[in-house]
Amino acid sequence: MCFACQIVPQDVLRRFSKDRSLDEEQRKHFTDTLKIDTELRKLRDQAAKLTRIASAIAPTTALAAVAPAPAVTVFDCNHNQTLPGAQVPNPGTSSDVVAKRVFTETTSVAAFYSQVFGRNSIDGAGMTMISSIHYGINYNNAFWNGTQMTYGDGDGSIFVDFSRGNDVIGHELTHGVTQHSLQLNYANEAGGLNESMSDCFGSMFRQWEARQTVSQADWLIGKDIMGPAAISRGFSCLRDMANPAAKHCLAPQPTKFKQYKAGMDPHLSSGIPNLAFYSVAKAVGGNSWDKAGQIWYRAMTGFGPSPNMKMKAFANRTRAVAAQLYPGNTAVAGAVDTGWKKVGL
Amino acid sequence: MDTLKIERIGGFAGFGLPGSKLRSTGEQAMSALSPADQATVEALFRNPKGAQGTGHERDAFRYRITRTVKGKDQTVEVAESAVPPALKACVSDKLM
Repeated sequence: MCFACQIVPQDVLRRFSKDRSLDEEQRKHFTDTLKIDTELRKLRDQAAKLTRIASAIAPTTALAAVAPAPAVTVFDCNHNQTLPGAQVPNPGTSSDVVAKRVFTETTSVAAFYSQVFGRNSIDGAGMTMISSIHYGINYNNAFWNGTQMTYGDGDGSIFVDFSRGNDVIGHELTHGVTQHSLQLNYANEAGGLNESMSDCFGSMFRQWEARQTVSQADWLIGKDIMGPAAISRGFSCLRDMANPAAKHCLAPQPTKFKQYKAGMDPHLSSGIPNLAFYSVAKAVGGNSWDKAGQIWYRAMTGFGPSPNMKMKAFANRTRAVAAQLYPGNTAVAGAVDTGWKKVGL
Repeated sequence: MDTLKIERIGGFAGFGLPGSKLRSTGEQAMSALSPADQATVEALFRNPKGAQGTGHERDAFRYRITRTVKGKDQTVEVAESAVPPALKACVSDKLM
């Protein structure tokens, strides 16, 4: 049975399932895949509908406050690529260190969003936080698929286990928060903003857990998942929010909006708003989540969906939000304005 | 004509992006694939728009698959979930 075929067009699957030039086993394979595909499409449509409805009837602050803390579940893919895998019973006390870590850190991200921003889980209404671990073999990635997080073990050479980075866990969960708030697309300027939100809140979460001020923080993304081969070549991170073009980054990024080109991958263009956020937080001082984070969070969650938002529009929104949240505070207003001007916005 | 060139791109780490130090590539003979996988690959080239994922994936890998037909390269870029495991298994990650 081939779950990999799930998004091959249904007419193609149907044709192959009846193609007499294929043997019986192959035809059965396509028949089975067609059945699975049909159910998965229903599931995806339902998930999309749920996102829209949840967004339209977003809970009031009072309701969100009384909703219970989100359940955190962990599943083990056992090195396959079928999600979600087998549920890990009692992951918080599991003998599998990865399961235990993912449970602990995901619970901590929930606490971060709750205590710092007053948000109850990914959707603001206590949505269960689902994670799958041990995905694939030597899999060098972590991703959000629209309903859950997934973590690979890394190849042990370039990368180690992706769940070792608490900023990685914060990053992936924030993709869910964005999906349930600003609903940014994943292409062009909106895509860059989407990636940047995840880096900003992932980095803030890492600083919050370490109780680091903006001056103590290293502002690196992916530092804790770098493997021995990467470290020996002088790479200390994937991205550096303070210096996106730095040579110690495995994936250096542009630093000015004038470098942006339409169609640029979100993991490149996110360097521009990342540097703006770093500059704002550094200028304001103290803890990143106390003021700069509050401005970014309100700009992300306080205005409803804006799937095709441009970077300039987001920059201007943070300027407006800074004035609303901190009226008369010229230091904060100046920091936000200067931070965006530094990147040409 | 028989050889498929595969590149895995994107992901949280940004494989294959301009300036990135990460590449993930491989090759696979079409004739070495099972008939079912060959049929899936043909379907990907016939309708790559139908293999773009759900639209909600973030940081997911994508695959760029190239074949040569009558002397001309044809390339499609599709979601990881659409690629047969045998093709996914042929790429290897490298530091540049």
